[in-house]
Amino acid sequence: MSEDQELDLRELSNEDLVQQMHDDLYDGLKDEIEEGVHILLERGWAPYQILTDALVEGMRIVGIDFRDGILFVPEVLLSANAMKAGMAILRPLLAETGAPKMGKMVIGTVKGDIHDIGKNLVGMMMEGAGFEVVDIGINNPVENYLAALEEHKPDILGMSALLTTTMPYMKVVIDTLNEKGIRDNYIVLVGGAPLNEEFGKAVGADAYCRDAAITVEVAKEMMKRRHNSLGCAAE
Amino acid sequence: MARRERKINRQQRSAGLAQRPFAKVRNPYPYMEILSSDQIEAIHVASLKVLRDTGMNFLLPEAVEILRAAGADVNPDGVRVRFDPAFVEEKIRTVPSRFELHARNPAHNVTVGDDWTVFMLMGSAPNATDIDSGRRTGNFADYLNFIRLGQSINICHTIGGYPVEPVDLPVTTRHLDAIGAMIRLSDKVLYGYALGTERMADAIELARIARGIDHETLQREPSVMTVVNTNSPLQLDRPMLQGMIEMARHNQPVILTPFTLAGAMAPITIAGALVQQNAEALAGMVFSQVVNPGAPIIYGSFTSNVDMKSGAPAFGTPEFARSLLASGQLARRYGVPWRGSNVNASNAADEQATYESMMSIWPCMLAHCNMVKHSFGWLEGGLAVSYEKVILDAEMLQMMAAFFEPIETDADSLAIEAIDQVGPGNHFFQSPHTMSRYESAFYAPILSDWQNFENWQDAGSVEATQRANRIWKSLLETYEEPPIDPAILAEVDAFIARRKEEGGAPPL
Repeated sequence: MSEDQELDLRELSNEDLVQQMHDDLYDGLKDEIEEGVHILLERGWAPYQILTDALVEGMRIVGIDFRDGILFVPEVLLSANAMKAGMAILRPLLAETGAPKMGKMVIGTVKGDIHDIGKNLVGMMMEGAGFEVVDIGINNPVENYLAALEEHKPDILGMSALLTTTMPYMKVVIDTLNEKGIRDNYIVLVGGAPLNEEFGKAVGADAYCRDAAITVEVAKEMMKRRHNSLGCAAE
Repeated sequence: MARRERKINRQQRSAGLAQRPFAKVRNPYPYMEILSSDQIEAIHVASLKVLRDTGMNFLLPEAVEILRAAGADVNPDGVRVRFDPAFVEEKIRTVPSRFELHARNPAHNVTVGDDWTVFMLMGSAPNATDIDSGRRTGNFADYLNFIRLGQSINICHTIGGYPVEPVDLPVTTRHLDAIGAMIRLSDKVLYGYALGTERMADAIELARIARGIDHETLQREPSVMTVVNTNSPLQLDRPMLQGMIEMARHNQPVILTPFTLAGAMAPITIAGALVQQNAEALAGMVFSQVVNPGAPIIYGSFTSNVDMKSGAPAFGTPEFARSLLASGQLARRYGVPWRGSNVNASNAADEQATYESMMSIWPCMLAHCNMVKHSFGWLEGGLAVSYEKVILDAEMLQMMAAFFEPIETDADSLAIEAIDQVGPGNHFFQSPHTMSRYESAFYAPILSDWQNFENWQDAGSVEATQRANRIWKSLLETYEEPPIDPAILAEVDAFIARRKEEGGAPPL
């Protein structure tokens, strides 16, 4: 909250309010974002437009400055929290209006690996970008992944590992998906410090994501393609 | 209605070099001692024997007369002077253990002695080099740029001589133009060369004018420094002694540095080279105190080894590192400030330059070196100064300054509450303890790249030397001359013009 500058968000034009929300997201101001979302709804904005123009666009700017080393991790997490708060207001409305979804992700570290700080950061950043994230925690055998996919019907499956000794398990999971003939139902993203592009390809993932910011970019890009191809299939 | 300003200032964060502010550096840690007190005593006694039995050549008759009058034993040849151990011990008692060096901007004063460490810009390279244009003979244009960099880099405390020799300027007036430019382009502590009486006197007078002080104040407040090298083994030459007399009489500091490269100009054993270094340093200290008791003088350590296959000097070697640590012990035995160096023998601003430098910097730090000469830019055993190396050094020495910040262990720093709040298996990125500290908790590098591999690769796989190249260019682009009183500048210019008219200083 800004003590020295009293500002009534209601007095701002739509354009200025959206700009202000971008700045407030940048500063990680949760209350202000919630207020901004409410004001735009009162002004008759479609929930989907608020999501894309105010929140997702604001987080895109945050993402760029995170990538470029201008923002600190705690600041980006504050931004993601603020975004998440705005998203919490919009989510039921988006469902009602049948607006396109950002996407849903199931994420967890693989069997044998309890190193989860990277996975947690990815989860927060994905939520910050508007994705719905189901975190199934650490040390997951393939059964856990299958159960979560069945239950939550996500668009994206994310797997993470820190150890070279546990990362091969990602292939076990993907091979199982193949055997069951459900591999192509999901975008499979893998990440973790010892992984690289080559490993991602070798295990049959759709992409290797080297950090949280890139995960968000890749997820958005792949969701776009998925929507497009679904659109094509329906025609 | 105006919108609310962003709290996080993007421009500020992305603009310029994230340097630490200029600050004196003090080492709060215990010093490392690699010799026992018996060993230090053995070196001390041996060097006194050298001064008593072998003695040292003083190649300036005036200096010999000064020593003779003070009671030293002069050889019939009128050159070789031998010193009684008691005479040495008595004379060096007046060397100050600590003094303040004054810059024309008082915010850039430094303290010399005790646990204070001063990082000095490179001095005296005959060549300049950078990775775009390669190596060239020293010249005034490069000279000016290196002075600008020294001024721009906050961890660079003082000028350390001519960073590169402006060989394109005439010998008789070079010192006038060079020091004039130092004064204009930098407001840090000045440096003049002990190359004869006139050059030294001109440097002292220019330092006085630059500070806008009278002669009495200059006498009280050291404002310009020089290095006097012995012509090892066991000689002090004429121009150096002339400069030394001039500096001592004006109470300005001399860094007396024996040029003891083991195997060539000193014995091949480290102990033997240290004995000779110590003997020469003691003789220099005695001379300065005879000229003016209480005049500031710094014990110089430069003992390294040569490559016995070629005779070329080597630096940042294990021998050099141990000599530095031993020198710190010797200087402390006498209670005098001492000088070391950040040096290497590499021909490029590459890995060798960096690791040999670190083999110089660490022992300097562990031994509580008071003046680290050639802190920024040195390459090729001193035959070149490198733009990129200036930046590599700035990063290494800034890190040392940060390393000297003691670990706080107050209740807040111990973070018991934060640990409890976060608990097992969570993370601290969003803990309130982190949130209130993250911006300044850690050292922020100016050169290190901490991106992950793919981001670094996407950005062009730029290695440290190339990044350093970008940094020095941007520093020169954004450089601004420090303010100076126009009346003082006019007096500096008038002095230089008059001295040029008089013909400057005679060639050596």
